[in-house]
Amino acid sequence: MTVVITAGFLIRIPDIAILEQSARNLFLHVPMWFTMMVMFLFSFYYSIRYLNDETLLWDTKAETATAVGLLFGICGLLTGSLWARFTWGAWWTFSEPRMNLSALSMLIFVAYFILRTAFNDPDKRAKISAIYNIFGVTTLPFLLYIIPRQLPSLHPGAEGNPAFSEITAPELRYIFYPAIVGFIGLAFWIKDIVQRYKALKVVTTDNL
Amino acid sequence: MNSSLAQDTASSAVDTLTQSYSGKWEGVEGVEQTSQFIQFMASYDLIFVVLGVSLIIWFVLLFYIIKVDKNVTKLEQTIHTTNES
Repeated sequence: MTVVITAGFLIRIPDIAILEQSARNLFLHVPMWFTMMVMFLFSFYYSIRYLNDETLLWDTKAETATAVGLLFGICGLLTGSLWARFTWGAWWTFSEPRMNLSALSMLIFVAYFILRTAFNDPDKRAKISAIYNIFGVTTLPFLLYIIPRQLPSLHPGAEGNPAFSEITAPELRYIFYPAIVGFIGLAFWIKDIVQRYKALKVVTTDNL
Repeated sequence: MNSSLAQDTASSAVDTLTQSYSGKWEGVEGVEQTSQFIQFMASYDLIFVVLGVSLIIWFVLLFYIIKVDKNVTKLEQTIHTTNES
């Protein structure tokens, strides 16, 4: 996994000289959303596993995956905002459906953490947040992939187009795909570290 | 010395950009009237936007990792105190 991340960063450097301008943001901004989606799908899976056998381990795993996914989603929003200022001319536009709907889906997952703090009983908290998480992740494909494609948008992929088509230069792809793999690998690594920390914390607090 | 040099090239780069792209990108239009920061970011074919984007990702991830690090330190301290007592 570390090799993949390192390669994702090293390959990027020589090829950048060919490409010009902020098109290079493709390697940074787009993988953020892919990574977020993968993390949320994993938390969706963990939530289902929790409801299946009601082991608290699955609940903490779902929480960790959602936290890391939200982290990458916030990165995606901030980078998108910066990129939009210099190519579209505004930090934020309300006529851009994908931008606003992704912000909305971020709010759904912020609400997930607010919901978690509302319960003191861990079993109750785990069950209700698992159900909420399943609902939240189910709305994601609609908010991020279906509705923006039906509406006119400044993003590529609007009005029924595929987002990644033959107009994308092939040089971009050689770096884009390793970048996706690299960022997803990085996300899994962070998730694993946080998960191990939480498991250790449970063990030590039980021993006290 | 260095900064004034960079500023000169920056403003000239902004000029060529508006000439060739003003019809296509409204965001770049009128960049001369805006602040120093916007002018600087728009220089060198927007390469500093890429820098900014990578820095944002780096700092957000760094912030999160530092937070986790602090939590681990706290946990280590509780383990130490329970072992001593």
